[in-house]
Amino acid sequence: MNVFNPQSFQAPATDDAWLPSSCALCYGTCSILAHRVNGAVVKIEGNPESAVGKGRLCGKGVSGIMTHYDPHRLRYPMRRTNPRKGLNEDPGWKRISWEEALGEIAEVLRKVRKDDPRKLVVQRTTTVTASRVPLHAFATAFGTPNFSVSGGGQHCGNGAHLISGIMHASWSVVPDFEHCNYAIFFGASKGHSAGHASCSNMGKAADARARGMKMVVVDPLCNFAAAKATEWVPLRVGTDAALALAMCNVIVNELGIYDGPYLQAKTNAPYLIGPDKLYVRDPGSNKPLVWDNRSSSARPFDEVLAADMAIEGDFQVGGKPCRPAFRRLREHLRQFTPQWAEGISDVRAAVVRRLAKEFATEARIGSTIVVEGVALPYRPVAAIAFRGSQGHRNSVYNFYAVDLLNQLVGAADVVGGCLGFNPASHGHPETGKVRYIPTAGPDGLMVVGSWMGYHYPYPPAEPRAPRNLGLQDLFVIGMTSPFLDSSDSEAIWDKLGIDYRPEVMINFGANLVMSIANKDAVAASLSRYKLIVSFDLFLTETSSFVDIILPDCGYLQSLDSRSNFPFIFSLPAGQGEWCWPIRQPVLPPDGEQRQFAEVLLELADRVGIRADLNAAYNAWLDLQPPYRLAGNTPYSYEDICDRELKNHFGPQNGLDWFKQHGLVKWKKTPQEVYWRPFVDVRVPVYWEFLKPIGEKIAAIAEPRGFTVPQEYYEPLPSFLPCRSHCCDKAGFDFYGFYYRDIIHTNSFTMENPWLDEAARLDPFSYTIAMNRSEASKRGFTDGQLVAVESETGRKVAGRLKLTEGIHPEGLGFAAMCGHWTDGQPIAKGKGVFYNDLLEIDWEHASPVNINLDLCVKVRVTSAERVS
Amino acid sequence: MRTSEASPSDLGHADLGHAQGSFAAASGAGVRWDAVVAPQSIDRVPAPRPPIHNSAQPIQVHLQLFGALATCCPQRSLCFEQPTGTAIIDMLLAAQERLRAPLLVHVLDASGAKRRHCRLFVGGYAVEDLRTPLDATTGRAEIDIILLIAPEGG
Repeated sequence: MNVFNPQSFQAPATDDAWLPSSCALCYGTCSILAHRVNGAVVKIEGNPESAVGKGRLCGKGVSGIMTHYDPHRLRYPMRRTNPRKGLNEDPGWKRISWEEALGEIAEVLRKVRKDDPRKLVVQRTTTVTASRVPLHAFATAFGTPNFSVSGGGQHCGNGAHLISGIMHASWSVVPDFEHCNYAIFFGASKGHSAGHASCSNMGKAADARARGMKMVVVDPLCNFAAAKATEWVPLRVGTDAALALAMCNVIVNELGIYDGPYLQAKTNAPYLIGPDKLYVRDPGSNKPLVWDNRSSSARPFDEVLAADMAIEGDFQVGGKPCRPAFRRLREHLRQFTPQWAEGISDVRAAVVRRLAKEFATEARIGSTIVVEGVALPYRPVAAIAFRGSQGHRNSVYNFYAVDLLNQLVGAADVVGGCLGFNPASHGHPETGKVRYIPTAGPDGLMVVGSWMGYHYPYPPAEPRAPRNLGLQDLFVIGMTSPFLDSSDSEAIWDKLGIDYRPEVMINFGANLVMSIANKDAVAASLSRYKLIVSFDLFLTETSSFVDIILPDCGYLQSLDSRSNFPFIFSLPAGQGEWCWPIRQPVLPPDGEQRQFAEVLLELADRVGIRADLNAAYNAWLDLQPPYRLAGNTPYSYEDICDRELKNHFGPQNGLDWFKQHGLVKWKKTPQEVYWRPFVDVRVPVYWEFLKPIGEKIAAIAEPRGFTVPQEYYEPLPSFLPCRSHCCDKAGFDFYGFYYRDIIHTNSFTMENPWLDEAARLDPFSYTIAMNRSEASKRGFTDGQLVAVESETGRKVAGRLKLTEGIHPEGLGFAAMCGHWTDGQPIAKGKGVFYNDLLEIDWEHASPVNINLDLCVKVRVTSAERVS
Repeated sequence: MRTSEASPSDLGHADLGHAQGSFAAASGAGVRWDAVVAPQSIDRVPAPRPPIHNSAQPIQVHLQLFGALATCCPQRSLCFEQPTGTAIIDMLLAAQERLRAPLLVHVLDASGAKRRHCRLFVGGYAVEDLRTPLDATTGRAEIDIILLIAPEGG
C-alpha cells in the first residue's frame, strides 16, 4: 500500500520554515509560501518568486489555513448504514478501515469493468486543477469515457473555453494589460476576481487602470470588475450578442473601419462562400478557394499572397455566384442596428455607437510597436467575455460575437490586444519542453498547440450516435454536459439508444447537489447509482447520496508535480516569465487522511489495472524514455511526480530540487507572447464548419424524436433568445442570474470562518441584489425577506439588497450559497441557493454546445410574515 | 519601446481598394501581417524518434493495448513480425487481422487520420502520423496504444 507516512514527516525540533507550494482555494492555483512553525502552519502568503500570483494572494488564499484546521474535516473512511438515499436521509455513517473501504470498492469495480467499464462515471471538482491528471488517468485505465466536472466546468466551460480555443488557441482570453488602452469586458471579471491567473491578473489590471487603460464593463451587475471600471454598461441579462453584433455593424458598416491585411492573412475572411453557405472548393485539392486579385481568378487559399486576396466583391466560380466570407459577414451585420440592439439589450443606441467608435479608433489599425527589439503589430484594444455572457443557451453566438470585435480590428494575440493564455511555448531553454505551437489544420484554420484533454475546439469531431452518457460525442461543439444529471436523462438515453446506465461514481470533491442545477433533479440522478465513492474534505449535501466517504488530504498536505495545467490555464498571459510551480506537503495527514492520487494507485492495483494506469500516466503526462512508467510496476505518486519533472526539466531538476525551490521559471520572448504574426494559421470569422455539423447532428437526433434547431448552426452569429427572454407570464418581470462572489469559490469555501466573516460584512454575498428604483416601485425595502419563484414553480428565499448598481430587470445572486448540511455548520443557512431555480433538461441546454441556461425569469414576492 | 501610429486616414479600409497593400505604408516599419509570417522563426522541434533500423531483417513487433482498447479486444498483447519499413498503419492492419477485432475503428477517425484522443507510442515516443515507417535499432518495436478521454471542462 502506498501511504504517505506521517512518521517520515517529523518536523525538526526547531521548526520554522517558509515552504513554497500552491494554493487550491480556487482553480487559479496561485503560488504560495506557507509558514510552518513547530509543525503548524501559521501564515500563508503569495510567493513573490512565482509568475503565478506574483506574490499576491487573495482573501481566499490567505484563509486556507482555516479550511485546513477546520474541526469538521473528515479523518476516517466511512460507510453509510442507511440504504435509503435522499436529500433528507441520514446516511448513518459508520467508521470503517481503509482496508474495508478499498476492498469493497475494488470488488465492485472489478465486476463493473468486466461487465462494461462505461458504467463507471468519474467526477471531479475543477477547484483543484491538479486533480485532473490522476482522475483522468484512472478513468482512462479503467476504460470509461464518462467523465464529468460537475457545475464548475459546466457553468463556465462550453462557450468560453472552446471558443477561446478556436479563436485564440487557449482556454481563456484576457486583455494584454501591459499595453492595452481600451478593454471591454462582457460578463467577465478577469483581473478583478477569482479564476484563471487571478492574483497575477489583479496586479496587471490594477497597473493598467493606473496607467490609464479605459475599461468598459458590460454586465447586468456593477460588481467586482465594473466597480473599478471607467464605465459600467448595464444590459439585460443574456443579451451580450446583440450588443456586440451591433458594435461590429457600426465598426464595419457605419465607420468603415477594419484591419483588411489582418483579415486577409490571419482569418478565413477571403474564403469564397457559395449559395449553400459553404466554402467554394478547388475540385482537385478540395481546398477552399479565394479570389486572387492579381490573376483575377479563384485559387486555393494557400497559393495566393494574402495581400492579393479579395475580401470584398461578388464573383462567379464554376458558374456559381460566390462572395468572400468577409463580404457575407459585412452584409449579415447590417441587420444588427444599434436601434435593434437597444430593444434587445436595453443599451441605448447612442451608447452602442459610441462604444463601437471608441473601440475601433483606439485599435490604431496599421500601427506597430517595437517590443524588446521586435517589431510587432500594435492594437491596444481588447474585447473579452467569460462566465456571465457565456452562461446561456446562446452561449456560442454570445462569445463568437464578442470576439469578432477583436478579429475585425486585428487585435488578436498582438501587442495591446486580446490575448489567449500562452498559446505558444518554445519550451524551457535547456530541454525545449514543454513546447507547443498552434498549427494549421483542415482548411488552414488554427488547431491549438496545447489543450486540456482531447476534445479539441477545432476541427470538431465527427458527430456520431452517442455512446457517452453526456452526449459530447453527438454534440461535438460541447465539452461539459448536463445530461448525466438532467431530469430527462433516462428518456434521452433511451431514445438515443444508449444501451447501458451509470452504476458507479467516483467523485473527487464536487458537491453536485449544489453546483449544477435544482437539487431535485441532481438528487434523482445520484439516487440511481449502485455505489458512489467520494473523496472529500468535509461532508457536503452530496454526501447524502454517497456510499463510501474517503477522507482526502487538503492542499497543504498534498503533492502535485503540476499544480497548474501548463500553460494555457493559469499562467498569466502577456510579457513576463514562464513558470512551473509544484505543490508539496507542508503538513502531514491528520487521522487516516490520504491523498486521493495515492489511493487511486492502490485501487488500480486491487482492480488489476496498474499496467493500464501506468500507460495512462505516460500518455497524459507525455512521459518519454527513460521516465516512462513501465509495465505494472507499483510506482508511488511521488515517483510519478519525480518522473514528470525530470522528463520536462532534466535529471537534475526532479522532485527533490522542486521541493527546495518550489518552481522553475524562465523568460518569455516576444515571439511567444505575441505569436500570431509568426505562425501561419487562420481563425474563422465565418464558421463554415458549423452548418454541416448541425446537419449531421440533426440526421442522428431527429429520427429519434429530438429537434435540433438549425439556426444555432448558422455560420454567422445572431442573437438567439434564452427561454427566459421568451417568458411572458404576468408578474415574472426579473431575470435571475448568479455571479461568482470574489469572497467565495462556488459552494466550497462557505465553511471557512474567515471567509464567512468577510461575506457577512459584504452587503451582497448572502443577499439578493435588486435595483433600488424597481424595488421602490414594487414596495420592496432593503433587507426584506422575499420569495423568488421561477416560471416552473421552483422557489428560493432570501433578503434583498437594494442597489443602483444592477440593471432594473436583473436580480443578482452571489455564488452558490444556502448550504443545509450539518457537516458544514458555518456555511449552513447562509445566503441563497440560486441553482435551485435552474431547470436541467434538454429544453434548457443549448442545441449546439449543450451549455446549460443559467438565467431564469422570476417573480419576486414578499416572504415576511404579516403581523 | 517605440510605436508607429497610423494616421487618421489609415484607420480602416472602407473599400476593397484601400484594403489592399495599405498596411505596409501605414506601419512605416515595413511590418505586414503576411510579411511577418515566417514559419522558420518558430520551427517545431521534431519529436525524438527511435533511430532507423538499417537491417533487412524483419522487425519484431510487440503491440500492447491499454484501457478501453484492452477491454474490447480479445488480446491486449500481441507479438508478430513486420518487414522493415512497414508503415505503422499497415502494422495496425496486420494487428487487427490477427486480433480478429475492430481495432482500427478506435484508432482512426472517418477521414483515416489517427483520432486525437488515441495515443500511440513507438519505443516510448508519441507518433501522430501513421504513415511513419516502423523502424527500430534493436529490430524490435514496442508499440503502446491507449484511448484517452475526449471531453474536459473547468
